[in-house]
Amino acid sequence: MDLHQQFTRVIQENKGLIFKVSAMYTNSADDRNDLQQEIVYQLWKSYESFKQESKLSTWMYRVALNTAIAYLNQTKRRVSTIPLELDTDRFVESYDKTEEEQIQQLYAQIQSLHLLDRGIILLFLEGKKYEEIAVIVGITPSNVGTRISRIKEKLRTQLVKQPA
Amino acid sequence: MELEEMQQAWANLSQRVEKQDILTTHLVEQTARQRYHARLNSIKYSELAGTFVCYAAAGYVSVHLTRIEGFWMQVLAVLTIVVLLILPILSLASVRAVRGVNISVATYVETIQTFARQKIRFQRLQKINVLLGLVLLFVSLPVLASIQGKDLTQIPYLWTVLVPVGAAVFLAFAYWVLRSYNKILTDMESLLTDIEK
Repeated sequence: MDLHQQFTRVIQENKGLIFKVSAMYTNSADDRNDLQQEIVYQLWKSYESFKQESKLSTWMYRVALNTAIAYLNQTKRRVSTIPLELDTDRFVESYDKTEEEQIQQLYAQIQSLHLLDRGIILLFLEGKKYEEIAVIVGITPSNVGTRISRIKEKLRTQLVKQPA
Repeated sequence: MELEEMQQAWANLSQRVEKQDILTTHLVEQTARQRYHARLNSIKYSELAGTFVCYAAAGYVSVHLTRIEGFWMQVLAVLTIVVLLILPILSLASVRAVRGVNISVATYVETIQTFARQKIRFQRLQKINVLLGLVLLFVSLPVLASIQGKDLTQIPYLWTVLVPVGAAVFLAFAYWVLRSYNKILTDMESLLTDIEK
């Protein structure tokens, strides 16, 4: 298997990661698709030099999150964003209105957080351990714990301010 | 939505994403085989067009410099050229993307810090740009009139209507721009402060 095929397989296996990071940092389907492609491009650029010193997912999250920030800068998007519009037509088979609303609310809440907290919560929701979040983000594991507690508190405050 | 509910919604989202036909093999291969033009760090047409207009105007004034009479008028002409040359440089410098960050090596915090600092720098440079634009508005007017051999006092309603209206529109625009810049500046500064906590 040559490098291109190897890379394509890695991307296919991790397409969810790329989609979710892109969705958290953009406001429209067009921007999300652009960012997805940009992330793939950046991953490919450093794929050869990836020496497996860290886990593959750690490296992928790092590149994806960093690219999202660079993209945000390039496109001059505002830091606080509006809730993302999901492509409901792409989910016709499994369409569930309550689930859809929940996901919309999830996006809105994550996007209301500032950039650092947004990255941390995304990794937390992906089921990453504090140690891995710390490596990707560049803070200590205990700081990750403190920040997640603070985010929980922030989300609770939002809940009080905006009762469902 | 509490964090536990968010986890449930996230799990639902993850399941849905897996079923989607995104990032097809063809698209990934095309990207990997360099058939994709990266958008990051590319210069936009609007930036190039703005630079071209400013440099063309600077060229126009330079070519006609000898036709401008009077020492102070020539000083204004030189000032106009300088402003026209500086404006695009400031703009181009301020819109550059996150530079100096190795996307595959830098941590998320390092990238955010660079992003926030560049955003702050951008907002400050844009403020200078707005100020320079105002200077240009007043300085270029007598210079252009002089090049075209017109006497400013002969232009009807120049000082009573045209200049005040022009200045008012410009100031209103500048106020609107700077107000939004100040909000971004505050957001970025508080983000940096929070990271350093």
